[in-house]
Amino acid sequence: MGNKQTIFTDEQLDAYQDCTFFTRKEILRLHGIFYELAPSIVPMDYTDDPDVKLPIQLIINMPELVENPFKERIVQSFSEDGDGNLSFNDFVDMLSVMSEMAPRELKAIYAFKIYDFNTDNFICKSDLEKTINKLTREELEEEEVNLVCEKVIEEADMDGDGKLAFADFENMISKAPDFLSTFHIRI
Amino acid sequence: MYYAEDGITDEDIHPLGTGVLWKTSESPVANEFSPKNGLRHRGSESQWGATDIQPMQQSRSFQPWSDTDLQDEDEDKPVKEFCFSMQRKREIRIKQEKQGAKKNTWETWSRDYKRSFRQFQSKASESLQFLVLWRRTINTIGGNFGTGIASYFTFLRFLILMNFVTFLLIGGFIVIPNIVVQELNVVQTSQSSNTTGLCLKYSPNPQGLERYYTFIMDILMGTGFMELTYMFYGFYKNTLVILAAFYYNLPLAYLTTTLFYFLLSLVWIVVRSVKGFKQSLLTENTELSNYTSKIFVGWDFCIKDPRIIKLKQKSIRYELQMDLEEENMRRKHAERTTSQLAAIYSLRVFLNLVVICLTGAAFYCIYLSTVNSQELLINSSVKGNFILELLVGYLPSITITAANFFLPIVFGIIILWEKYTLNWEIRLTLVRCVFLRLTSLGMLLYSLWDKITCSGKPHDAKCVTCGYNIDEYKCWETRVGQEMYKLLIFDFLTVLVVILLVDFPRKMMVDHCSCKPIQFWGQQEFLVPQNVLDIVYGQTVCWIGTFFCPLLPLLNTVKYFIIFYMKRLTLFTNCRPADRTFRASSANFFFMLVLLLGLAISWVPVLYSIFAMTPSRACGPFNGQTNIWDTIPITIQTLPKTAAEFFLFIGSQAFAVPLFFLCCILMFYLIALASSYGELVKTLKDQLQMERSRKMFLRQVTY
Repeated sequence: MGNKQTIFTDEQLDAYQDCTFFTRKEILRLHGIFYELAPSIVPMDYTDDPDVKLPIQLIINMPELVENPFKERIVQSFSEDGDGNLSFNDFVDMLSVMSEMAPRELKAIYAFKIYDFNTDNFICKSDLEKTINKLTREELEEEEVNLVCEKVIEEADMDGDGKLAFADFENMISKAPDFLSTFHIRI
Repeated sequence: MYYAEDGITDEDIHPLGTGVLWKTSESPVANEFSPKNGLRHRGSESQWGATDIQPMQQSRSFQPWSDTDLQDEDEDKPVKEFCFSMQRKREIRIKQEKQGAKKNTWETWSRDYKRSFRQFQSKASESLQFLVLWRRTINTIGGNFGTGIASYFTFLRFLILMNFVTFLLIGGFIVIPNIVVQELNVVQTSQSSNTTGLCLKYSPNPQGLERYYTFIMDILMGTGFMELTYMFYGFYKNTLVILAAFYYNLPLAYLTTTLFYFLLSLVWIVVRSVKGFKQSLLTENTELSNYTSKIFVGWDFCIKDPRIIKLKQKSIRYELQMDLEEENMRRKHAERTTSQLAAIYSLRVFLNLVVICLTGAAFYCIYLSTVNSQELLINSSVKGNFILELLVGYLPSITITAANFFLPIVFGIIILWEKYTLNWEIRLTLVRCVFLRLTSLGMLLYSLWDKITCSGKPHDAKCVTCGYNIDEYKCWETRVGQEMYKLLIFDFLTVLVVILLVDFPRKMMVDHCSCKPIQFWGQQEFLVPQNVLDIVYGQTVCWIGTFFCPLLPLLNTVKYFIIFYMKRLTLFTNCRPADRTFRASSANFFFMLVLLLGLAISWVPVLYSIFAMTPSRACGPFNGQTNIWDTIPITIQTLPKTAAEFFLFIGSQAFAVPLFFLCCILMFYLIALASSYGELVKTLKDQLQMERSRKMFLRQVTY
């Protein structure tokens, strides 16, 4: 159909196909979704690589993300400036990593970033507390949250510094076969 | 916080860093997390080399991304697997292509070929996705209720496919040749030998007064005109078809197709379960990573429905609280005194005896019901009354279903008194339920065998003339097929009735009536293990019955097809997600294991009938032979001499015994290999622990 010629060049589509886990059709569909988020800002024509970023408030209103307790962290981890403003490239990247075809190592890297709330490249106790509260809607008692944090650090911390480095995190993830199916957003 | 450690070279300590150390000196495992494979941070490349003191960039600036520094192992890695922004990935891609241009034409060609092959693969898999049945439905279920429940539906789909393939095999090799032969009225040579006339009397169509309901009764019970259709074993003839050069041995086809689809089912299930087993092995260490998996892997990012998210959060909270409580309990258990332990163990022994007695009582009921059902049907005392006859005919099915309904509830109550930890509770209840379901089938078959072969006494008055109980079972294979047919129909009806008459009213009551007990009872929970046991039971019945009732796989396919849609309907309208989530990975392994168990159990009656029982003289493709298996030796003898000798050799002891010893040796070797890997894993874990304590010690030393 003549449609696809006006949004991306063939070369761009090839590049997307090689750099993400999506096919051409899916890339075009994603562009449609990105466009729907802000029709007034996002151009239809991407052949000249426009530098258009959508603010985080628009992205987290996507139906796939709006109810997710980690939506802000997900969007922030994939943005270049760390604040959650996504260009189309970042958007596609995000959905590609969260798709079911991304390998475990890649997903583990981004999962670590998502759970690292203060972006210090460690998952420390405060990060864990925030994660647990988001997972349980803050309905656990403070004491229980403390206990769970301690247990997690005890289980996963390999080098004994009281916080989880990426190595510890990846070690734990490799033992969990469910990870690939749960760390997955279907679009 | 900077510190020096043994064996750490300069490149690992960043002068401005926050002390992130990837590399320890000797540990083989920790070396994997060296800077080369470390976390690459988005957004930091452009600022690399800047001296701002922001924690984000420093710790990861070990690896400058320069033109010359494309690492070896990254050259062949596809670009999409890098953890960079899209811009950077495009640059890498161009660089990879340029590097490809530096190499000779062969390498360029192979690189291009690899890329186009990869694209072809992704296109092919995309188009194949459309062929996958119900993909979208199962994805929706997974999104709304979690991957555990979706795995039940995947399992159901797998069984539908397997049944359909079995039906195709049977249809192609048994039913269609028979139909063709009948239609063409081909001259058939019968292979049955002369036997006493008494054994040959078999007329399934009842003489005398035909009631108006006979047609329905025949369909529901599989008697009457049904026995004269392709449905049951009794209709197939013992014929050899010779048409010019075309030679088709119908009994041989019947037997070999049966053996083939059993083997096919076994291989298929084993191949599918290997994947699940590998994953299960990884989770054997749940003791060590229980909380971590719940926190980091527990959240299903697919869920979109806010109600389900609330439920999921509640269930995670519940699980964490349960785990903490279990820790508490375990500590208390460890502190139990000897007298308390003795009391608990004796209580457990007593309760296990109670369970065994209850199961034994259920088995006795099944035996009685089967025996009485057979006898009452033959004596015409119930023949007048439609409902009564139906009830008597379905009596074994009703008993089995009742036992499988009430006893698990009792088991659930008993297990609470045995004071096990949560995991053991679940496992033990499941084991008991599986055992009950599959052995109640076995009990039914045993009682049938008892009646057919006069309790295994060939010289008993009733069995001496024809080798089986000729008075009551003129065509015993068809009778066994009928029992399996009735079980299948009753199981299907039970599922439909439960959905229509229990689930829907329950939902309506919960929605419209706000009184406390009903709200407490709540909506139906979709319990995955119980549902899986249901369909495994149905599949076992099908496997047992297929030899005696060749069209049973077709019925089973249709039944499971309808059950898929009914269960989906009830899931979406009536159910809430279970409190205790069923993990998808261990789920798959558990399903396959129970299915294998069902397959193994279904082999026993079929193989016993083939090898040890006298086939009916009056009906079926094997009449006149001493054993069903005799077809094979007879056929082998008609083969050319070398082939015949080869097969005889394979069947003889001279081949079987060395083969057996070879298999034993192979098995012992594999066991030794597996245990040595286990030792290796343990040693590595100890080494990890040692490194950790070493690091902590050194940290203390330097402060």
